[in-house]
Amino acid sequence: MAPVLAQALTGAAPAESAAMTRHAEPTIATIVRELAAVADYIAHLNQEIGALRANELCRERIPSAHHELDHVVDATASATNIIMNAAEEILGSDSTSLEDYRDQVEARVLTIFEACSFQDITGQRISRVAEALSQLEKRLSRFVAAVNARDLATPPDCEEAQRQARRETLLLHGPQDADEAIAQDDIDKLFG
Amino acid sequence: MASLELEVGAMALDLSMPILVVDDYQTMVRIIRNLLKQLGFEDVDDASDGTAALAKLKQRKYGLVISDWNMEPMTGYELLRHVRADENLRSTPFIMVTAESKTENVIAAKKAGVNNYIVKPFNAQTLKTKIEAVCGA
Repeated sequence: MAPVLAQALTGAAPAESAAMTRHAEPTIATIVRELAAVADYIAHLNQEIGALRANELCRERIPSAHHELDHVVDATASATNIIMNAAEEILGSDSTSLEDYRDQVEARVLTIFEACSFQDITGQRISRVAEALSQLEKRLSRFVAAVNARDLATPPDCEEAQRQARRETLLLHGPQDADEAIAQDDIDKLFG
Repeated sequence: MASLELEVGAMALDLSMPILVVDDYQTMVRIIRNLLKQLGFEDVDDASDGTAALAKLKQRKYGLVISDWNMEPMTGYELLRHVRADENLRSTPFIMVTAESKTENVIAAKKAGVNNYIVKPFNAQTLKTKIEAVCGA
């Protein structure tokens, strides 16, 4: 890569840059070559930005994933409420005969079975979200590799930085994978 | 539900004591309420985060606080520290019921003075055992 371009892209210190170029004053030919390299690089970047298809992600894929997840939240909440209502009705039953009690329990159990059918639909919706995330991951990975992207030390978004700081200060990690989570038995030993 | 009955006689548990359940997820509040009801507790109140809980704790004496960790604006961890720093509240038994399952969370809560710690998802037996351990002594 051309030295001038290399400095611009790698962030080389001025001293290093000077060392690279001090042996000779740049000639017109060198400058033209470097400008051609810069133009090639910009064309390459342009192609990679296009391949990212950011507009499609922002306009369709991500809103669609949000929409699917909203449906999943609604469906699970609705099913949970139906199941809990049925369970509470069973517990609160004031039937006076065994036969009447059995009829009531069977009706509620049927309601619980029906409510559990939400899992089929939510499973399909979650699969669509997973597919969208997979697409996003592929495109971002390609873009990161193509532009040799480096992350800023802190998020550029002030709100995100505040959220991150809050998570760290207040130990908000959320649920852990089974192999990382402490078991209830181990917690119990701590409270002996 | 005989298996869920608390050993009231042996553990000197007061089933009439008011319990405050703190969770921003109403379904979880409902689950814990139902479990507590099955255990025999009738006086169960709830709050949706630490700030609301702290206001209730200052208005009324509760026999037990059962709190989630991750809530906004005030977390259960902050609530615990406020409770332990308040002369009038510091002796209130406090059980954390949370999905925060990293060892550092458990240790931080213990250092802050939590009486017991339950990781979600949990079962009725676990809740029963912890209540007996915390309030039955």
